[in-house]
Amino acid sequence: MPSDLGLTKNGLADIRNQIAQGLPAHFPPREFLRQHSDMMDGLVRKAFQAARAKVPSPSVCLMAIGGYGRAELAPYSDIDLLLLYSPSNKNELSPLAEQILYPLWDLGLDVSCSSRSIDECLKMACSDAQVKTGLIDGRYLDGEYEFFRNLYGLFTKKVLHRRVQSFAEALAQEVHPRRQKYEDPAYVLEPNIKEGEGGLRDFQVGRWIIRAKYKTDRWDSILFPDHSRMLDKSIQFLWAIRNHLHLLSGRRQDDLTFELQEKIAPLLGFPMGTKGVEEMMRQYHLSARGISNFFHDILDRALYEPSAFRKMIFFFQRKRIDENFEIAHGELHLLDPVAFKKDPSQVMTLFQHGQAYQAKLDFRTEEAVMEALPFIDDRFRASQKVNQAFLSILRKGEGVDRALKKMHELGFLSNYLPEFSEIEGKVHYDLYHVHPVDIHSILAVEELGRLRDGYYQKDYPLLTSLIREIEKPDILFLTTLLHDIGKGKQGDHPSVGADMVNRIGWRMGLPVEDRGLMDFLVRHHLLMLETAFRRNLHDEQAILRFANETGNPVRLKMLYLLTFADIKAVGPEAWTSWKNSLLMELFLKTSHFFEKGDEPQSFLKMGETVAQLRQSLPRETLSHYAEHLPDRYLSTYSSGEISYHIGMAQSLDKEVLLAEWSREEEVRARVTICTKDRYGLFSKIAGSMFVNRLNILEAQIHTWGNGVALDTFYVEDPTGEIERRLQQFKKDLKEILSGKISLKLLLSQREESGWIQKKVIPKVTGETKVNNQDSDFYTIIEITGEDRLGVLYEITQALTDCGCNIHFARISTLGNRVVDVFYVQDEWGEKIVEPEKANHLKQLLLNRLTPL
Amino acid sequence: MKKIEAIVKPFKLDEVKNALTKIGVQGMTITEVKGFGRQKGHTEVYRGAEYTIDFIPKIKIDLIVSDELVPGVIEALERAARTGKIGDGKIFLSPVEEVIRIRTGERGKDAI
Repeated sequence: MPSDLGLTKNGLADIRNQIAQGLPAHFPPREFLRQHSDMMDGLVRKAFQAARAKVPSPSVCLMAIGGYGRAELAPYSDIDLLLLYSPSNKNELSPLAEQILYPLWDLGLDVSCSSRSIDECLKMACSDAQVKTGLIDGRYLDGEYEFFRNLYGLFTKKVLHRRVQSFAEALAQEVHPRRQKYEDPAYVLEPNIKEGEGGLRDFQVGRWIIRAKYKTDRWDSILFPDHSRMLDKSIQFLWAIRNHLHLLSGRRQDDLTFELQEKIAPLLGFPMGTKGVEEMMRQYHLSARGISNFFHDILDRALYEPSAFRKMIFFFQRKRIDENFEIAHGELHLLDPVAFKKDPSQVMTLFQHGQAYQAKLDFRTEEAVMEALPFIDDRFRASQKVNQAFLSILRKGEGVDRALKKMHELGFLSNYLPEFSEIEGKVHYDLYHVHPVDIHSILAVEELGRLRDGYYQKDYPLLTSLIREIEKPDILFLTTLLHDIGKGKQGDHPSVGADMVNRIGWRMGLPVEDRGLMDFLVRHHLLMLETAFRRNLHDEQAILRFANETGNPVRLKMLYLLTFADIKAVGPEAWTSWKNSLLMELFLKTSHFFEKGDEPQSFLKMGETVAQLRQSLPRETLSHYAEHLPDRYLSTYSSGEISYHIGMAQSLDKEVLLAEWSREEEVRARVTICTKDRYGLFSKIAGSMFVNRLNILEAQIHTWGNGVALDTFYVEDPTGEIERRLQQFKKDLKEILSGKISLKLLLSQREESGWIQKKVIPKVTGETKVNNQDSDFYTIIEITGEDRLGVLYEITQALTDCGCNIHFARISTLGNRVVDVFYVQDEWGEKIVEPEKANHLKQLLLNRLTPL
Repeated sequence: MKKIEAIVKPFKLDEVKNALTKIGVQGMTITEVKGFGRQKGHTEVYRGAEYTIDFIPKIKIDLIVSDELVPGVIEALERAARTGKIGDGKIFLSPVEEVIRIRTGERGKDAI
């Protein structure tokens, strides 16, 4: 049903859409706001006149205030009205107000109407910033024009331009709680166009302050032309989004939710789908940042501009730093406004001073920086003086994060490092990455700064001590700033980024080793977290691989710090102590590995071996086995031997045991045994050798990841019957392994036959060491003792009896002394750490070394 | 309907997830948890300072499945999460009285 105004709710919505569609695409969104507001003026006047006809009307003036007063009315924004009256007839006003409001409410409009006298208005405006800002935007609509003129004359004279600083303070305080609410990461992903950081409200507050302080409506008149053009573009963009938000939702909807982002992006001319959304959000973040900078700039001017009196005090307190700068009250001032244009490198000097004196830049100096941006060219970027100054800022540590943040805010950073401008405002369309890439990078630097300042001492003592001991903090900070620089380019972002960082380092004149370090860190900035979260850290192999890729402790430390900063800067939920436990474990185990320092050379050999294997073996065969071959094994044998072993392993489907040997001398042979690993295997082999009077001089035992045991033994038989004995050994072992006979039985049979001779008391004293320090994964048992036939069997049997699994062993004989090293784990796959158990094992081994 | 709660080693998550998806499990909840059982925490030394990892990081997987899926899920969990070493984790099975999908109000099996 049409209301008193001759219009229905739907009719009103149609009119709105007509306005929206009637506007040519190139028209700025401001035009829609104006036309919509004009249309609303018509309705409100109609309501006002109808009301006056119905109720006996005193003399009043109808005003539009707030956003409607500015004639910037978004489709479903509030409509704020004010009735101005002369004090005598207040009581008669409420029927009039009701009559105005009802028909407008019937149309579903959000209208409010207050009524005040001129005096009341002025009084309230003095004490209440909200009333004051409402009046700043006030506009005459209907009724007594004289009232309006009076109010404005007095308001401008007595209220608006007075106490500007406290007005600004009140507005700044209002912003504070609002900020806290909208700082929640959810609001970064789904921002509120109006109230969020850099939203339309910020722009408005800036405008009010300009009105109050500079007595002008033209906010752009106090900015640089470039700056105001940019700002205008940003505002128009936000308005465009808001208009669509309202029209699509059919209500006052200022949250740019994921769902609406997808709908609005194509309407604004962005491509369909995720890409378009990401582009739109990038532009949103850039716009919001521009507005936010404007807001803070204006607020600073109003809050901190010293009065004439304070200026005088400053005059006596200021301190000259050099020919271009002085410092007063913790603020840095540029003395000669054209200094930057004469010598752009002074901009970097400015930031250096800012850091050294922990001083803020005053807003005029900040403006001078922005004005000098066009002078930052290739020559500037390649200047040694500039780059050295930049690196010294990074090296100093203290306040690095603040310095970089300021550089970024003023647009200096992306001029100095043009690559950085490409990640500005860049967003991921997902729930995990809260911040645009540039902000994420700055936050990562900030996290390192906090870590360095001891903010996380209690929670993360290890990380805190690491950042304090690294030798090149400048490289770490620079790399952290640039770690995601490859985002948004074609290809894998860490590799793309590493190439870019290399070029940047070159341009900055960094030595080749520093560039190498940066290249490594950027290229592998995901390696540590992938290893920590996806690999079994109790598997020595995983740690060895990681150590091998990391290369040295310096890189490891920096990678850990970068990983921390990267995750911490993703969002408040991303970094957990859970994640840190895993990262710390990986860090510590890898460091231990580097500290031992004996393995890296064998890795070199390992790489060669794998390359050779690739040539000699069919690809499928190699790919089937390669991942199972432990690095320790790979670095022990040549590629020829390994291919041979793989050949043996391939026959394990048909055979229980493969044992082959080659005679090296009349009395010695090298025996290679390949079988499926099982509990106590080593002692069964040693036992079978023992019963056949084969003396073991050396042995290497390895277990592959797929459960294949590959052992080589160097054995001796002084009687010259080695061939026959080896044949018998093979037969015996095969029977034992297939369960046809037990080793025990075999031993007792042979013993009965009396050939096993008991030796005389050993002259070498037995010694055993149980070492838990040198490996994070195995207990290392070192045994020295007198050599005799069967000693290895005794030892390995003792180990097996104690529940030890032998993963790797090195047996050697030096004269009549055996030196054996075993890498063992208990039945749970853990080291043997309980002192009782270790002592028991030690004792048992000592007993076996000394024959009965 | 049953609720299955499994504690597994973090690096096994992908394998477990794939194994469960393969047999038709539609959804699960993953939580980062810490604790200890038979596998105890340990102390590491770095540059003379001791760093204690007293609770070991694990992943907890919660899922609700209809009764007929239970044996398959348990088997898949066991197979995918096992390394044969200490700390492989545990699986807890408990009955669920009702499941309600808040958006639609569906109940029982349809709401899983």
